[in-house]
Amino acid sequence: MTSLKRSHASTSTGTTLSSKTYLRTLKSGKVQKVVRELYLRQDIPCSSRLCSACLDLAPGGFHRRSEPAVLSATPSATKHYPEGHYLVPDTNAFLSAMDVFEIEGNAFQDVVVLQTVLEEVKNRSLPLYNRLIALTKNEGKRFYVFFNDFRLETYVQRDAGETINDRNDRAVRKACAWYAQHLQQAAKSRKSARCPAVVMISDDKDCLRKATGESIIASNLETYVSGLPDADRLIDMVAASSEQRITKEGRSQLLYPDYLTISAMLTGVKNGTLHQGIFNVSPYNYLEGTVHVPAFDRSLIIQGRENSNRAVSGDIVVIELLPKDQWKAPSSKVIEEEDVGKNESAEVDEESPEGIVSERERRALQDEVKKAHGQSTEGQKQPTAKVVGIVKRNWRQYVGHIDRDSVRSRNSDSRAQQTVFLIPMDKRIPKIRVRTRQAGELVGKRVLVTIDSWDRESRYPVGHFIRSLGELETKGAETEALLLEWDVQYRPFPKTVLDCLPAEGHDWKVPASTEDPGWQGRRDLRDLLVCSIDPPGCVDIDDALHAKKLPNGNFEIGVHIADVSHFVKPNNAMDKEASLRGTTVYLVDKRIDMLPMLLGTDLCSLKPYVERFAFSVMWEVNTNADIVNSTFTKSVIRSREAFSYEAAQLRIDDRSQQDELTQGMRHLMMLSKKLRAKRMAAGALNLASPEVRVQTESETSDPVDVQTKKLLDTNQLVEEFMLLANISVAGKNFEAFPQTALLRRHAAPPKNNFEELSNQLKVKKGLELRTESSKALADSLDTCVESSEPFFNTLVRILATRCMMSAEYFCSGTQAESEFRHYGLASEIYTHFTSPIRRYADLEAHRQLAAAIEYESLDASLQSKSKLEAVCKNINVRHRNAQMAGRASVEYYVGQALKGRVIVEDGFVMRIFSNGFVVFVPRFGIEGLIRLRDMAEDGEKEPEGVFDAENYSLEIKGEKRQAKVELFQKIKVKISDEAEKSTGKRKIKLQLVQ
Amino acid sequence: MPLDTSTYALAHLRLDGRRWNELRRLHAQISTQAAADGSSYLEQGNTKVLCTVSGPQEQKGGRGGARDQGNEAKVDVEMNIAAFSGMDRKRRARSDKRVQEMQVTIASAFQSTLFTHLFPHSTITVTLHILSQDGSLLAACLNAATLALIDAGIPMSDYISSVTVASAPSSDQSLDEMDPLLDLNGLEEQELPFMTVGTCGRGPGGGEEKVMVLVMETKVQMARLEAMLSVGIDGCKQVRGILDGVVRSHGKRVLESKVS
Ligand SMILES: [Zn+2]
Repeated sequence: MTSLKRSHASTSTGTTLSSKTYLRTLKSGKVQKVVRELYLRQDIPCSSRLCSACLDLAPGGFHRRSEPAVLSATPSATKHYPEGHYLVPDTNAFLSAMDVFEIEGNAFQDVVVLQTVLEEVKNRSLPLYNRLIALTKNEGKRFYVFFNDFRLETYVQRDAGETINDRNDRAVRKACAWYAQHLQQAAKSRKSARCPAVVMISDDKDCLRKATGESIIASNLETYVSGLPDADRLIDMVAASSEQRITKEGRSQLLYPDYLTISAMLTGVKNGTLHQGIFNVSPYNYLEGTVHVPAFDRSLIIQGRENSNRAVSGDIVVIELLPKDQWKAPSSKVIEEEDVGKNESAEVDEESPEGIVSERERRALQDEVKKAHGQSTEGQKQPTAKVVGIVKRNWRQYVGHIDRDSVRSRNSDSRAQQTVFLIPMDKRIPKIRVRTRQAGELVGKRVLVTIDSWDRESRYPVGHFIRSLGELETKGAETEALLLEWDVQYRPFPKTVLDCLPAEGHDWKVPASTEDPGWQGRRDLRDLLVCSIDPPGCVDIDDALHAKKLPNGNFEIGVHIADVSHFVKPNNAMDKEASLRGTTVYLVDKRIDMLPMLLGTDLCSLKPYVERFAFSVMWEVNTNADIVNSTFTKSVIRSREAFSYEAAQLRIDDRSQQDELTQGMRHLMMLSKKLRAKRMAAGALNLASPEVRVQTESETSDPVDVQTKKLLDTNQLVEEFMLLANISVAGKNFEAFPQTALLRRHAAPPKNNFEELSNQLKVKKGLELRTESSKALADSLDTCVESSEPFFNTLVRILATRCMMSAEYFCSGTQAESEFRHYGLASEIYTHFTSPIRRYADLEAHRQLAAAIEYESLDASLQSKSKLEAVCKNINVRHRNAQMAGRASVEYYVGQALKGRVIVEDGFVMRIFSNGFVVFVPRFGIEGLIRLRDMAEDGEKEPEGVFDAENYSLEIKGEKRQAKVELFQKIKVKISDEAEKSTGKRKIKLQLVQ
Repeated sequence: MPLDTSTYALAHLRLDGRRWNELRRLHAQISTQAAADGSSYLEQGNTKVLCTVSGPQEQKGGRGGARDQGNEAKVDVEMNIAAFSGMDRKRRARSDKRVQEMQVTIASAFQSTLFTHLFPHSTITVTLHILSQDGSLLAACLNAATLALIDAGIPMSDYISSVTVASAPSSDQSLDEMDPLLDLNGLEEQELPFMTVGTCGRGPGGGEEKVMVLVMETKVQMARLEAMLSVGIDGCKQVRGILDGVVRSHGKRVLESKVS
């Protein structure tokens, strides 16, 4: 212990005591007074390599390693600052233009991030704060955090009556002044003539004026950027500065009502007059959103631009219920922004006399449909509300394309700045007004933008352009677009991650000697006849199975899972990357791995004929598939064969095969059927989602055909045992760590989720959907059949699936035990254990299980409820995004496969609106909208529709043709693809064939 | 949202501007209550404790009772946490589990350093009034009690001095590179795993150095423990020096007033 003893510097020297007092409001509405001590010191370095005085100043941490100076001795020079310069941005500079600070290259290096600024950024936006922290760790960027509030010379006490903002601005100026003076001294003592300028970046006019008065070099961001070599490109990334906005305020009218203050919202929510929830926009009607709040069973409707008051889909909003006479029925109409908002000019919007709601929008919302009398669920009025405030914006980066019509000058050489509309790929996001000098070049490209603000005087949000992904419709651009849209991290693994891989690379082998430490605590299961069954061509084999008959008539079954936690140790760079990625993402022609290839497809993958480390779950079960006992162990296995589902099925069915491996597989098959029957009896749901497989020619990877996926018995065999393993592990982990087991739950859907579907079935088919329990639902879904149309049942299942909640990962300490249930699987407890190569949740479950069986000790990160909660939150989002990205990829390829073809196929009507209907085409798994407008022949006017909401039907009365479409009806549709005029983007078009 | 302890890694500066091995300002006075047999007032940062000692006095409730330990004095500790001491105004009952635990910890620590065998059949009552809380409460109570007991003139083998120590990752790359932090304030205590160390004696030449109190209620990895403990013991020694200075200057003043 003596080795660790160190001498201590005395506390009292070198620090001066101050204190700060502030008030803070808690979530509960309570106000707290916080008093904090501050120890002001003089040993905080400036961190410039120019300065020798600070070199020995900073005592390092406990490990005596002081940090090297960050800022370059010869920072880059620009037109305005020929001797080089350091930047000191204020808070708003980071908030409005983080992208520009993040660019690679020579611009925006040598930046001093003040503690005052860092703290304010954290206050205002956690994601931006995290990006800023990441920047300070990027060695090439040379960002230095200067703790100005702890340094005696730069500390600023808040004056009486001074606002916090003014105090912080003053602190920034004081720090700039100190830096400038400090560097001058440093340059002098070096006898160097060159002394870099310290440039404050701020968009606050008042602050800039004061800075000039105090002879601090200061500039607003735009002026600064325009002095850089690559100004044209960079200037687009700088959000329209607030200065410009202020000048506009004078003449423009305020279109939207103001938000309530935070305290008014808090009080309102607390006493029940206001409600808080997440704002979701309908994918069919961009003017209608819903917010689910705990006080109401049904989601509240928010209709129209004025009521949604600048909320963007995904924001957390506070809403106020409207008086009952203003309640609305959910719109039965399809409204798309592209149609309604056409021809609006991006530039002159503010002067438009119409105000917030354009006349076209008003007309679109008015339901002039001839409705049948009486009441039905669709026609009923529902509680309607308006947004009165935003608790948290959930803005992200959006992929989209520029509205060609909004571009003034299409000459690609034109460098004039103009304002254009960007139409996001996500239909629920409003179009974004973007100022750019590159409009000509960007037309016809996939571009990435972000929203900066949405002020009261602007009908649309204002954003800025980040970068172009490439030509619309090209595979590269579209793939990147959907990865960005679903926030999938697709960059190659950085070196720090690859450094965590075993040094042997592909030559790594299970140690030959069982004395090796790698063998410690492992069972030797190499003599078991293990095999894996996966989709054809699978290279990341997570799981393998075996079964053998025991002398007592029972069976021994083993599920062996790749031992990923052996290779990925908690908290190293690889683990961090995997936890961020959360899951492997499967696209049609591409896989974005969670773990580096070496592990995923080789060292961890349970490939046949080689020895691999595994984590095994073994049961003894009787002939009825009841578990007699279960064991968990780390092991070494050698898989005998890797089957595809088809190959395994053939082998099992082939009576001439009588070897032990095949026998084992037959045992597995027999037991899996019993397990499945038991699960179904307990009320597990057999749900369906449209799944199709795109066949590609390997060389060009152009899609040639689309097929729906076939399900074999062997698919179900593997699934049953994976479920069994997951359930067993969940129980074990929960028993060992009641507070911190990582589990997966699926909440029972609220009853009224099924209201509409069950009404539809009753009205159209006379069928009854019972939803009081998962068992009842499973049974009644089985009765929803139509003898003439086998697909009808699948259709109902697809619709039922959409009424369900989504399953989620959680940490056991955060939910009551009764909430653990997995509704869809009818299991009391569940987790993910069987795919650690491609899901991070499974890797965490492996670590917990290893600790539960006392194989190794549990890392601290898996013992902290709050850390696990953060992990769960992230992987829940990643999981969902991965699914969406996968679906979007299939959609894109289906579109490509249909390119230039015209096909007539069977389709089913899934949903009816008053001006169109949605058709599902099973053959391609596509879902498309047919609007009345689409039914008009050339030159004809839009046919009239008679919508019967009660009977879910739409009668079409065109000039030339009459038709009636009903829900669930089987119809023939013509599928073709069509290039959109405004964008040149191809879209699948469905048409009704008589 | 103010910055939290994760920013420590950026510049090895804590939330209040201290370095890892720096104590907060420790200010103490002795003989603050003339009516008590011994008293002290101690501030460790914004944690403020007033301590009075009464006794040794004969045990009440009759001799030979179950509580009578016969040939040595019994140490009783009472803690009163003022409702206004914390961030929220909250009244803590005397029966509060946490309060009871601290009382027992303090009592048993002093039971073994005071020369209790000199006062058979009697009780020494230590009363602690917590006026303000900002972390390291148990440590501040132990330090205040030491001073008040000295003021009461109760013989003891050595001072008990105490301090808290936490463990903060110094960079998020690896967990073995962690810095122990000395003397936590309230905010740090909420965010980091920590322990309270109390020692007696100052090592070579100053009596045997012993750990008298070691309380840890949060989980921490084994590998971090050794460094935390050794830094904690060093911290206790620093505190001891400060307490000693307070006692000596008080003694000096008393002497001077007697002489004149
Ligand atoms: Zn310096």
